[in-house]
Amino acid sequence: MQCRLASILAGLLLSGVGVAAGVPGTLVVVQSLDDIVSLDPAEGFELSSESVFTSLYQRLVQSDPDKPGALRATLASDWQPGADGQSLVFTLRAGATFAGGHAVRPEDVVFSLQRAVRLNRSPAFILNELGWTADNVAGFIVKTDDGHVRVSWPARVGTAFVLNVLSSTVASIVDALEADRHQVNNDSGNGWLHTHSEGSGPFRMRRYIPHEALVMDANPRAPLGAPLLKTVVIKNVADAASRRLLVEVGDADIARDLGPDQIAALRGKPDLRVFESPSASVHYLLFNGSNNAKPVLKNPALWEAARWLIDYDGIAGKLLKGQYLVHQAFLAHGFPGALDTTPYHLDVPKAREILAKAGIAPGTAITLDVFNQPPFNEIAQSLQATFAQGGIRLQILPGVASEVYGKTRTRTEEAVWLYWIPDYYDAHSTASAFALNREDGTQSIAWRAGWHIAKLSAQTIAAVEERDPAARIRDYEAIQAEVQRSSPFVIALQERTELVMRSNVKGYRQGLTAEMVYYDRVTR
Amino acid sequence: MRARYGRRVLRRVAGAAATLALTIAALLVVTFALSSLSPIDPAIRLVGDHASAASYQQARRDLGLDRPWPVQFARYVSQVLRGNLGTSSSTGQPVRDDLAKVFPATLELATLAMLISAAVGLAFGLLGAWRPGGLTDGVIRILSLAGNSIPIFWLGLLALYLFYAHLHWTGGPGRLDDAFEYTIDRSTGLVLIDTWRSGVPGAFVNAITHLILPVLVLAANAIGNIARLTRAALLNESAREYVILARAKGAGEARVLFAHILPNASGAAVTVLALSYARLLEGAVLTETVFAWPGLGRYLTTALFAADVPAILGGTLVIGVCFVVLNRCADLLARAVDPRIL
Repeated sequence: MQCRLASILAGLLLSGVGVAAGVPGTLVVVQSLDDIVSLDPAEGFELSSESVFTSLYQRLVQSDPDKPGALRATLASDWQPGADGQSLVFTLRAGATFAGGHAVRPEDVVFSLQRAVRLNRSPAFILNELGWTADNVAGFIVKTDDGHVRVSWPARVGTAFVLNVLSSTVASIVDALEADRHQVNNDSGNGWLHTHSEGSGPFRMRRYIPHEALVMDANPRAPLGAPLLKTVVIKNVADAASRRLLVEVGDADIARDLGPDQIAALRGKPDLRVFESPSASVHYLLFNGSNNAKPVLKNPALWEAARWLIDYDGIAGKLLKGQYLVHQAFLAHGFPGALDTTPYHLDVPKAREILAKAGIAPGTAITLDVFNQPPFNEIAQSLQATFAQGGIRLQILPGVASEVYGKTRTRTEEAVWLYWIPDYYDAHSTASAFALNREDGTQSIAWRAGWHIAKLSAQTIAAVEERDPAARIRDYEAIQAEVQRSSPFVIALQERTELVMRSNVKGYRQGLTAEMVYYDRVTR
Repeated sequence: MRARYGRRVLRRVAGAAATLALTIAALLVVTFALSSLSPIDPAIRLVGDHASAASYQQARRDLGLDRPWPVQFARYVSQVLRGNLGTSSSTGQPVRDDLAKVFPATLELATLAMLISAAVGLAFGLLGAWRPGGLTDGVIRILSLAGNSIPIFWLGLLALYLFYAHLHWTGGPGRLDDAFEYTIDRSTGLVLIDTWRSGVPGAFVNAITHLILPVLVLAANAIGNIARLTRAALLNESAREYVILARAKGAGEARVLFAHILPNASGAAVTVLALSYARLLEGAVLTETVFAWPGLGRYLTTALFAADVPAILGGTLVIGVCFVVLNRCADLLARAVDPRIL
């Protein structure tokens, strides 16, 4: 006891308290983890959980970190399209094993994909796009021999689209033996996988403490090669100012989700650098045309005038200090087929002329729902100011995210400022949201806006059925142009990921969508 | 005589148990009703905005939201009576397990802050009441007012910037440095005890360096309250006739304060301390947020934003029990130190 007390006193006197030297081989990332609902890839669909799935699990095919837009064979080594155009045969990577040591078998692929459909958690709708349902999925994913799996689908979609769907995190391959072993009440291991990983990714979850931290250790058996780090610690630090201090001092290697002012303050510091890459998140203004209490909301003149009443450059450049880019089409810059034209800018006289011509009286009042958090508050205030110049009075209604989403799902709002992130790396994910209204209550953004677009919807369906990649891109460009020209959406901004890292951190890669976060080549 | 005493004790115990039960029941009803009125949709929080209508409906069914709220409440109460606080939708874990993890973190922070604020606050109160209106009293009143009115969020960030980032005197956000954080067994959840028991060189010291700032920031706020209320209680007593009599009989100021005023004001001081402790335990939300301290306050805030009703109710239950138990302890202590209190 005396010895311990003496060592403590000595420690207090001699230790350089507070400055934790970095643990060798360990990367410390600080961010908010409060959004995580589950770390089961068949259930987790939040930004934070998506951002670690690529480290913990693998899919048959995945986006190539070095060639955005291209797919690379991952747990599959090869695939062959079937002659019927409605199937694919995957050859599994020889010798691939899960982090726990079991070999990756065709049974695991069949189990994982069928399980995701049957569990029917939030990301299941991505697999439903292929026509798979809990009742029919068994017949569409079958083992053909010990090294092959045949995947077929009833939906009329091309193989390129199917491969993109199978590259989404919901299609991650889980160790069926382990999931079965931890099954409770026929949950296919869902409860266990909330807080454990049973995948073949470059890392394996050592510990997950909800709202506190996620610790991942290197998986030396990773089929595409072991990572260069030993451990990645992702810590939940809810306050952005504290995250800034941690990275500044050196107790964190990467700090995410810092505000524009914090980034500006850290830019140029010798031990730090700002990592920037475009994100697939686009921000838009929506007018709810299904709100019959206010007919002006479905007036195309209002939509057109609104396009000239947004100070795009002011918001992106001055207000948000470069964390957003001006982008006016629904496919984010970087997506194949994205339309990069920006025909609109702030032009109040033009907007007033359009409104006057359409007989929309000056002083028309519209409520605008926004998330009660940065940068939405700031954007809403800018909109309020410029719309007022055009004669439209915007009344801002701030609310928490689920409250605002609740209104849009029930179509009770008048106008709302939202953002959109694609659910998987295919243009259809976004096109089916903005340019497809099946008029059957399917919760697309077009349906929520009460936008009746039989012709455009048919074009969108035709685009996903198109098998020629070049023709598909042309289809999406045409659809985007139409939405950009006249629709109840004013797409205005694209987000840019900005994170601050210590300058000794090398090899970090991040792509457009939430799951494209790669720690496997990182060194520090 | 003994039988009458026994009956009195029994009555008091029964009274305390009834108060506890009624308070908890009222707390649960009000919290549940408020949660039900909240505009936040827990199902959307769970499945996200892009989910299909079928997944959304399934989430509502899983959460029991498809039933009228009195039915949901009755179901919850029957679970609680069986010792099951439900499962948190935001962590996916049983609420009982979550609370067992987060409450010790808050308990440790609040207890240390309480010890410091009690010692300093009482001393400030005494010093202020010693010569009211004097220089010392003036300085203490300004300090108390500052402790009360400086936003804790701002004070925490300032302290972090100065002592952690600039001077490197203390640990930063979190309970331990990463070198220790995920290797030490947290069987008690109290970081000082766990690091002490681990025997890992440097871990205990590291825990202390991480505790210093949040404890002091939390204590700063409580010190102001305790000092002001203690001073007021002492001054209130000092105007009484027995004090005038003591002075008239020639008792010195020190004797008047310590032998006459203090014992009579101690009942009020005990109540002030108990309520301050309860407030600290309730969850130092802002302190826990700034210092990334995984305690009850952070847990409850996250649950509130996620409309995670089982977690909100579980946290409320813990806070309610703390309040009632501390109040009861304060009553007993006040009676013990001041026989005039019935």
